[in-house]
Amino acid sequence: MSLIAFLGAVELGLVFAFVAIGVYLAFRILDFPDLTVDGSFPLGAAVAAVLIIAGWNPWLATAVAMVAGAAAGLVTATLNVKFRILNLLASILTMIALFSVNLRVMGRPNVALINQDTMLTPFYGLGLPDFYVRPLFIGVLAILAVFLVWRFLASDLGLAMRATGANPRMARAQGVKTSLHIYLGMALSNALVALGGSLFAQTNGFADVTSGVGTIVVGLAAVIIGETLFHSRLIIWALIGCVVGSVLYRIAIQLALSSDILGLKASDLNLVTAVLVAAALVLPRLRRGRAAA
Amino acid sequence: MIELSNLSVVFGRGTPLEKQALSGLELKIEAGTFVTVIGSNGAGKSTMLGVLAGDVIPTSGRVVIGGRDVTRIATADRAKYVARVFQDPLTGSCGALTIEENLALAAARGRRRGLGLALGSIRRDEFRDRVAELKLGLENRMHDRMDLLSGGQRQALSLVMATLSGSEVLLLDEHTAALDPGMAEFVMELTQSLVDKHKLTTMMVTHSMRQALDYGSRTVMLHGGKVILDVVGESRKNLTIEDLIEMFRKARGGETLDDDALLVS
Amino acid sequence: MKLLTAAAFAALVFAQPALARDVTVDVTAIVEHPALDAVRDGVKDALGEAGFKVGENLTFNYESAQGNPGTAAQIARQFIGNGPDVIVPISTPSAQAVVSGTRDIPVVFSAVTDPVGAQLVKDLKAPGGNVTGLSDLSPIGDHIALIKEILPNVKTVGVLFNPGETNSVTLVELLKTLGAEQGIAVVESPATRSSEVQNAARALAGRVDAIYVPTDNTIVSALESAVAVAVESKLPLFTADTDSVSRGAVAALGFNYYDVGKQTGAIVVRILNGEKPGDIPVNVAAGTDLVINPGAAEKIGLELPKAVVDRATKVIK
Ligand SMILES: Nc1ncnc2c1ncn2[C@@H]1O[C@H](COP(=O)(O)OP(=O)(O)OP(=O)(O)O)[C@@H](O)[C@H]1O
Ligand SMILES: [Mg+2]
Repeated sequence: MSLIAFLGAVELGLVFAFVAIGVYLAFRILDFPDLTVDGSFPLGAAVAAVLIIAGWNPWLATAVAMVAGAAAGLVTATLNVKFRILNLLASILTMIALFSVNLRVMGRPNVALINQDTMLTPFYGLGLPDFYVRPLFIGVLAILAVFLVWRFLASDLGLAMRATGANPRMARAQGVKTSLHIYLGMALSNALVALGGSLFAQTNGFADVTSGVGTIVVGLAAVIIGETLFHSRLIIWALIGCVVGSVLYRIAIQLALSSDILGLKASDLNLVTAVLVAAALVLPRLRRGRAAA
Repeated sequence: MIELSNLSVVFGRGTPLEKQALSGLELKIEAGTFVTVIGSNGAGKSTMLGVLAGDVIPTSGRVVIGGRDVTRIATADRAKYVARVFQDPLTGSCGALTIEENLALAAARGRRRGLGLALGSIRRDEFRDRVAELKLGLENRMHDRMDLLSGGQRQALSLVMATLSGSEVLLLDEHTAALDPGMAEFVMELTQSLVDKHKLTTMMVTHSMRQALDYGSRTVMLHGGKVILDVVGESRKNLTIEDLIEMFRKARGGETLDDDALLVS
Repeated sequence: MKLLTAAAFAALVFAQPALARDVTVDVTAIVEHPALDAVRDGVKDALGEAGFKVGENLTFNYESAQGNPGTAAQIARQFIGNGPDVIVPISTPSAQAVVSGTRDIPVVFSAVTDPVGAQLVKDLKAPGGNVTGLSDLSPIGDHIALIKEILPNVKTVGVLFNPGETNSVTLVELLKTLGAEQGIAVVESPATRSSEVQNAARALAGRVDAIYVPTDNTIVSALESAVAVAVESKLPLFTADTDSVSRGAVAALGFNYYDVGKQTGAIVVRILNGEKPGDIPVNVAAGTDLVINPGAAEKIGLELPKAVVDRATKVIK
């Protein structure tokens, strides 16, 4: 694997770390299986791309993209909380609707950003090659996101959100407005996913409606790899695990692409993903089995 | 002060499974009173506590706590007045959170939850002291997740949680039923001391006639969703467990009780 | 063997400077698809004909992104890291991922409908920089002419397409503009996945005089559902994809994607021989095949004009 390919994998892993953290919030903290992310990832990409092309400041465009993602999360939460649609189904409905929304936002299926100034443009000219600048920049953002989410989950509000997912009846008895926390958590989760989408568009030069395909699987894979690696009950390690898991996932794929090593092709990626996730699920059980023996 | 007036609850109205759980129940409890509640299975005891906590919205009637009409107020919004310990130790605390996080969650009951750290060093010390009072050694396990503890330890902590944020009312629904006799005894003593210390208006549902008479100052018997017996003061002092069982039997129109043995325990 | 040696000798004699060294060409496409695969094979064969042979002096890598733009980005980084002599991305997202990642490795894109809209190049005539390529913008004007020739009284044409495919959207816009000039109204019927194609086709029955399918991966993959509806409602089905004719379309005027690949390969060869990509204009692929299916026409009671039959490059029996 070349250095550029390696750093490219790290960069993409860091972009998807935001997705992993979002998925962790929904699946693990709120216990809400949320497929909205397959739509909010391209939504973030679409909103950021369209606004940047319209001449907005890329940072502002990215902020609006996050707000759009949050709105998508709120729609899913509303369908679930207010209209009592099963959580998984509610998220599928939003995901499907977002396909049309994303097309509307972009006006066509693909919007190019190759020649536009992005959040990263000011850093490209500082002497480092682009392929270092991108992972460094996104890495700093990812560290920031890990810290902020960790700090949030350690607050009174965050604690209430964790209780909402883990034991809603107890949470209500402790004065926690559980539905409010579902709204809040879903908004936060999808805002992070949209941030990932917006960064994907800005680092790869395009937003495409199809770029949401399989986002949920990739996010889940990263969460699980992280949990297997760190094996800790502490939130901070789970969050760091999301980032590390996401990067490792991409490096594994890059290895598969350097076909001379394992004889694997890109067309084997789905299999590689499935094996990775399955291994991550089975390993802890094996370890536990050995400890018990 | 608690006031339940003309309270009715019908479950599954209009379905073949329609069930009247409470029918015109009337009950007034002075502030600071410890009331024990007895009654056969299905008498409506849990439903009554559910109505007080906000989990069950009454079909008709009024619920007043401390002068406030809370009939239509959601569980979470009245949690600041009402603390609760459930029969199942798993329900009353959050297994996925640590001991201190559970306490922090309870301590914030009735306050606005903001972005401040839930566990600053001051609060940590305060929680540790409160847990140390239990003398169960749990003060050294503040970072352990709740699901590593035994049912008794969890019930004891649930009681501490119930008293952390100055609620007026404490609702206990067979909260020792899942514990071994020794632990049940310990939790009952703890209950008594916490109720005394915090001057809580308490309603305790129990199937143990002994507990019903030994604790508190007033005993209420429910049947068919109504209060059919209400004893306080002298008449209660002279009451024996046998008397109580006799009344129980009379209340049910002379039916024999299959679970007499259980009631005496 | 003798022949091969002779050919190699001849190649050596007429050798361009590039032949003195080994070259690497990396090819990627967004998804495996007969048309895109044909482009890849065309590129490879064009290179071979110019003396760049796999196993001798050419390393030829190919990866498909399995329809996932995230994977496309990773493949792009992989190739850029390899530092080949030329990267050939096939389709718009693959091309964007490659072009955004490098400003020095020569890039020759192919099968991109709108290279300027996709921001691959700023100007088709003088691309500048490290990027050039070949557009596969369908000759929509010729398609309309063909439909008018076969159906002189055509008033409305229904178009089946996936609004999620960027190429299709460009083509439908063009169809509406050019159709309007010819007095033909265009009725859009979108299908976002292959399972929706049948319903989308049904929605056109009774409202149009003909159905038209552009080079749309979704619709082409489920063409049989469209054919069934067309036959049952006696509507002629025209496509831009020539392979669709043997599957039941009446006629198609379209690129032979293998040829598109060979034309792309020719550009790659020019670069390998020292030309700068920025100096090579981006052209629309040349040459189309007319494929007809008189049997399918007969099924709906339509007779193809003799001129069309005579002109056809291929007649499906
Ligand atoms: N959610 C519900 N839906 C339908 N019926 C219910 C519901 N909750 C309780 N009931 C019924 O209402 C009646 C009163 O139930 P409740 O739980 O209040 O009795 P209880 O006095 O607590 O009995 P136990 O001693 O068994 O705990 C019972 O007949 C019960 O089956
Ligand atoms: Mg009960």
